[in-house]
Amino acid sequence: MTLSAIGLSAMRSGRIILHPTSVEIEPGARIGLVGASGSGKSTLGHALIDALKAQGLQVAHVPQSPDEALDPLRSLAFHWHEAAQARGLADGAAHQRAIFSALKIDGGDLRKRPWGWSRGMQQRFVIAMALMGTPDLIVLDEPTSALDPVIAAATMNLLDRHLERTNTAMVLITHDLGLAARRVSHLMVMAAGRLVEEAETGKILNNPQTSEAKRLAAHRNWMEVPC
Amino acid sequence: MLRVDHIWAKRGAAVALRNVSLSLSAGKTLAVVGESGAGKSTLIASILGLLRPSAGAITWDHQPVSSCRPALVMQEPRSAFNPVWPLMRAVREPVLGQEQSVTNERIARLCRGLELPMELLERRPREVSVGQVQRVGILRALIAAPPLILFDEPLSALDAVTQKHTARLIADMQQEEGFAALIVTHDLGYALAFADSIAVLKDGQIESISDPGSFVTNPGSSYCQALRDAAVALGSIEVAA
Amino acid sequence: MMLTVVGFLVRAMVVLTGTALLTFALLWNAPGDPAQAIAIARFNAVPTQDVIDQVRAEAGLNASFWAAFLNWIGPLLLFDFGNSSVTGRPVGPDLWVAATYSFPLAITALAIGLAISLPLAILATRRPGGFMDRFAVAIASLGTAIPAFWLGLLLILLFAVQLAWLPAMGARTPTHAVLPALTLGLGIAASLTRIIRSGILEAWEQPFLAAFRHRGVSDRAIGRDHIGPHAAVPVVTVFGLELAFLLEGVVVVEVIFGRPGLGSFLTSAILARDFPHVQAVVLLTALVFVVVNLIIDVVYRVLDPRIGEPDA
Repeated sequence: MTLSAIGLSAMRSGRIILHPTSVEIEPGARIGLVGASGSGKSTLGHALIDALKAQGLQVAHVPQSPDEALDPLRSLAFHWHEAAQARGLADGAAHQRAIFSALKIDGGDLRKRPWGWSRGMQQRFVIAMALMGTPDLIVLDEPTSALDPVIAAATMNLLDRHLERTNTAMVLITHDLGLAARRVSHLMVMAAGRLVEEAETGKILNNPQTSEAKRLAAHRNWMEVPC
Repeated sequence: MLRVDHIWAKRGAAVALRNVSLSLSAGKTLAVVGESGAGKSTLIASILGLLRPSAGAITWDHQPVSSCRPALVMQEPRSAFNPVWPLMRAVREPVLGQEQSVTNERIARLCRGLELPMELLERRPREVSVGQVQRVGILRALIAAPPLILFDEPLSALDAVTQKHTARLIADMQQEEGFAALIVTHDLGYALAFADSIAVLKDGQIESISDPGSFVTNPGSSYCQALRDAAVALGSIEVAA
Repeated sequence: MMLTVVGFLVRAMVVLTGTALLTFALLWNAPGDPAQAIAIARFNAVPTQDVIDQVRAEAGLNASFWAAFLNWIGPLLLFDFGNSSVTGRPVGPDLWVAATYSFPLAITALAIGLAISLPLAILATRRPGGFMDRFAVAIASLGTAIPAFWLGLLLILLFAVQLAWLPAMGARTPTHAVLPALTLGLGIAASLTRIIRSGILEAWEQPFLAAFRHRGVSDRAIGRDHIGPHAAVPVVTVFGLELAFLLEGVVVVEVIFGRPGLGSFLTSAILARDFPHVQAVVLLTALVFVVVNLIIDVVYRVLDPRIGEPDA
C-alpha cells in the first residue's frame, strides 16, 4: 500500500514554516529529504509522521540527537519494555539480542540510564528501538551526526539490510546530499519551507534544476577519488 | 615549525596519549583524524599548554609553543563567544593594546577575505547564523597574525554546503597569511581535500602519517582502510566511476 | 556511601551547634534583666532585690557567657534540655507534650495541602491556559496572599460563630484540630499548587516527549512514567523551603486558636524569659530542618541519580 499524506503544513509564531506539501511513499521506498538548515525538512518529517499515524499506520522515528529520544531519568531497559508494549509486542527479547549484537551495543548495561552510555551507543539504542516490530515507515533525522564515521557507516549498512529484508520504507532527513545519495533512490529537495524539487537520485545529482538542488549537488562531497 | 616529540598525556587516571610524535612546518596543514575518545582534544590541550604531558616535549621553532601564541578555533562557534558582547568586541580582544587604525584596517581586510560584511560584527552571536559565527571565530583567530592556528572540529556544527565553503575560505586565508594549521577532524574527506599530511589517531596512538595521495591509494592499516570505506559509505568522498 | 553519611552527620552537627550558639548569644545579650523577669513569672508579684539575686544565682546567670553556654550544651549532648528557669521542671517532658500537639497538626496540614494541590495542579495542567488552569492559578494566588491569622479568623467566624459546626478554641477533642489544620493546609495548598503546576508544565517542555508519542506511548503513560518524575524534582526541592513557612504557620495558628503546642510553649517562654525553653524550641526546629533536608537529599538522589554523580 502506498503511504500518502496530502496538504501537510506548519506554522510557528504566525509564520508559515511549511507550505502545503503532499508526500507519497511506495512500500519499501528509500527517500531522502534534503535541504539547508531551516529549510523545513525536519518540520515536514514531523508533519508526515503525525499524518501517517493519524491514518493508523506504524511510523518509527529516530531524532537527530539521543537527547530528543530518551528520558534521562529512566533506565534503558524501561525504554525498551515501554516501546515493546506500545507496539503490542511481548518483550522483543529475540529481536533485542539480534539487533543489539548487529549494532554492537550488546555489551551495554540496560539497567543504566541513558547518560551512563556514550552518545554513540545511545543513538544506536534509539535506532534499535525504531527497528522493533514492523513499522510501515522509518523516519531518520540526521541519524549519523552523533556517530563516528566507522560506526555510522556500519549502522547505515545494517539499516539498509534490515529495511530491505522487511520491505520497510525509509525517509532520510539530512543536509548532506552526499550521504543521501549513497542511501536513497529518490530525493526531495526543500528550501524555505517548500518542496522545490523531487526526482530520482541520479537525476538530481547529474541534472539539478533549481538553485537549491544545484547548490547541494555541487557541494555533495569533498573529492572524488580513483577506485 | 611545530614539533610534538614523543608525548604521553593523561586525562584523569586514564592514559589519553601514548608516545605521540608529529611535526608541522610553517604555512602547512596537518589534519589529525580520529574518533571521539581517540585523544584529539587531549592533543589540542597539550599543544595549547592547558595540559602538561607526563613525558615528551612540544615546541615551536625550538621554543615552548606558548612563545608563538597559537590561536584556537572551536567546534561550537556560538559557545566560543560571550553572548552579550557584540562580536566586534570579542574580535578585538587579542589585540587590545595595539594601534586602533592598524587593527581596523586589518579587520576590514580579513572580513573581505572571509566574506563577512563589517556591519555583522556589531551584532551579538545569537543574531547571526552559525556559519557566520564560525567565520568570525576564524577572524578572531587570525587577528593577531599567529604563525600557528589549531582548528578543533571547525566544521562539524555546519551543514554540508557551508562546510565546503568555510573550508575553502580557511585555505584561502592560509595562502594569504601563511599560518600553519593543525586541524582536528573526524571527517576524512575534509582532511583528504585540504591537508598536506594526515595523521590518524586511534586509542591515543598515531596509527599512520601520510599525505592524502598515498592515503587514498594505499591506506595502510585495516583501521585506515575502514576509515576510507566509511568516508565513501557516508558520501564524504566519492569513488570516480 | 560511607563518606556521604559521615559528611551528613558532620554538617548536621555544625548546623545544630551553630544554631545553639547563635540563639544562646542572642538571648544572653537581649535587653532587660532576665533574672527579674523570671522572678516575676515565678512568684507572680513584684520581687525584692534579694529574690532577684537569688534567682540570678540559681539560673546560672552570674557565670560568664562561655561558662553558661558550656553548662547548657554539655547535658544537651545526652538529650537533657535542662530545667525551666520559671517552674524549675525539666524542659524535655514539657517540650515533648507541646510537640505531640504541634507535629500532628503540621502533618495533617501538610496532608490537606497535598490532597488539594496535587489534583488541582494536575487538572490545571491538562489544558494550560484553559479555564481550570486559570481558576487554579487565581485560587493559588489568592491563597498565598491571605495571611494565616486572617484566614483563621474568617474560618472561625464562618464555621464556629455563624454555622456553629466546629469548636474554635482549645484542643480537647480531634474536632478541635479541624479548623487550625484547615487554616494551615489551605495556605500550604496554595503555594504547593503553584509549585507543582509549574513543575509539571516545565516537565512537558522536555525535548524527548515527541519521540515517545511517535513511539506509540500513550499520553497517560507519558504523564505517569516521565512527566511525574521530572516534575517531582523541582517540587521536592521547594518542599524543603515550604517547611519553614509551615513551622512559622503552626506557631501563628496555635496562638489564634488557643491551642497548646510549640507555639504557646514558645511565646510564653519568650515573655517569661525562660531561656532553656526558648532554646529547646529553636534547637528542635533546627533538628527538624536538618532531618527533613536529609530526607529530601535522599529522595532527590533516587529521583534523579545524575545529582551527586561525579561525572554525568
